Amino acid sequence: MLYAISMARATDQYEIITHTGVNEKTLSKGSLRAIFGMRLHTWPDGTAIRVFVMPDDAPLHTAFSKEKLNVFPYQLRSAWDRLVFSGTGQAPYTVASPEEMLARVASTPGAIGYLNKSMMDGRVNVLHIK
Amino acid sequence: MYSISNSGPARSPWIVRLVVVPAFLWSFAAQAEKLPQNLQIHGFASQGWLKSSENNVFGKSASDSGSFDFRELGLNASMRPLTNLQFSAQMLSRTAGEGSPGNIRLDYGFIDYTFLSGETSQLGIRLGRMKNPLGFYNDTRDVPFTRPSILLPQSIYFDRTRKLAIAADGAHLYGEHRSSMGVISFQLGAARPLVRGAETEVAFLGHDFPGHFTPKVSYIGRVIYELDEGKLRFALSGSQLNLGYNPGAADIIQAATIRFTPLIFSAQYNAERWSLTAEYARRHLEYKNFGVAPLNLDFTGESYYLQGAYRITPEWEAMVRYDVLHIDSDDRDGKKWASANGRPAHNRFAKDITVGLRWNITPSFMLRAEYHRVNGTAWLSTLDNSNPADRSQHWDLFSILGSYRF
Repeated sequence: MLYAISMARATDQYEIITHTGVNEKTLSKGSLRAIFGMRLHTWPDGTAIRVFVMPDDAPLHTAFSKEKLNVFPYQLRSAWDRLVFSGTGQAPYTVASPEEMLARVASTPGAIGYLNKSMMDGRVNVLHIK
Repeated sequence: MYSISNSGPARSPWIVRLVVVPAFLWSFAAQAEKLPQNLQIHGFASQGWLKSSENNVFGKSASDSGSFDFRELGLNASMRPLTNLQFSAQMLSRTAGEGSPGNIRLDYGFIDYTFLSGETSQLGIRLGRMKNPLGFYNDTRDVPFTRPSILLPQSIYFDRTRKLAIAADGAHLYGEHRSSMGVISFQLGAARPLVRGAETEVAFLGHDFPGHFTPKVSYIGRVIYELDEGKLRFALSGSQLNLGYNPGAADIIQAATIRFTPLIFSAQYNAERWSLTAEYARRHLEYKNFGVAPLNLDFTGESYYLQGAYRITPEWEAMVRYDVLHIDSDDRDGKKWASANGRPAHNRFAKDITVGLRWNITPSFMLRAEYHRVNGTAWLSTLDNSNPADRSQHWDLFSILGSYRF
């Protein structure tokens, strides 16, 4: 029950956020999936993409994965593990809290993540999905 | 018949490896936050226990106390100095019965350069030692978190020619195309297989002869097609593995070649709560010019499994699998082989029913338990079961495993 409530809250009120240096204001769903699948490594201007996520069991991560990427968190974890443990890619950076998500995305050039609307301030950009 | 690891320095006591290596992993994990942004360090450590009714798996599992002789430790580093350039390497120590004594070795180590990268496609090259892309699980087969069970389906991921199957030194071309129709990706490589020690001879010839195998240029490839964001995954992988045999002094065998050609079809469906996975493999094995009639073989093996996993909660997952191996598809029950060799037919097949449970205590620590009911002995290790007459056709195996990763 509590889980359902926090899921609903997370669902209603979050945005995809980027570092203010990232020029993109909109992105295709396919590119968003490729970025969080750790298969697309650069922004169109050549800047390295730095991906930040919440832990696998965080309600916000579950909501984001299912609604924006259309995948289940376990699928993302399997895909990242396959990359990391075969050496063919890297894992995203995991942050422990929404506060850390904001701080890391705001301070890391090329960063992308997601955050509750209530937490957001001018230190990060909002990215819309086409 | 597992890997006989490279004959290195004397083996350190297992207790040292059990304590010291995880301590290293732990300190790396603690340091990970301080690393430069493009350097990543990851690793894992696992310990298993196996108990079987008859037949040994990974040590003396049939003994009263079972076998603790199953440990996997890995530590990897990757770095992206440029957005299109990555360096990756992993060190691995695997202890699994007589065949894998736990020597630390380079699991993979390569340079990855993406020379073409766009919003929907990429093309790149890897040079060095890469994991062989075979089926869904070969690339990460020693990492418990990436496996569906403690033991991978042995029909396809058997350990008999483990070292040959696991990695190779050479070059891979890889690419990916993403569209609304799905994601198609491929890896294609030419490489020198890893031929070390007596493993290859024991696996292919039955025992260690005076001469030795030499790796020849071999080919490997895999195409994966993912539909609906990976809810449906299909893969086709194949390899043509070429080995030469150089006879030694007073060798009864002549200069000869072996060509091993496995082909694997893989399919998976992923729903929120459950996943269904099936793989089917045909392995053509051809021995040429050995000069000894019984060694000039040409046959095709066949393997398949069907596996279901159910995520009861995010913490608990149950699995069930039926896994079948036929060494020779023209002699599925092994009777022809038995009458020609005078040994029991059950050496030529194995049918394994497995049920298992996985408990994710935290995202980085898990416990697993599983039970196998097996009919047949085809994938048993010769080294762990040195007397063929002691093998029993119908047997049970129970195993638990704990694994930590970061």
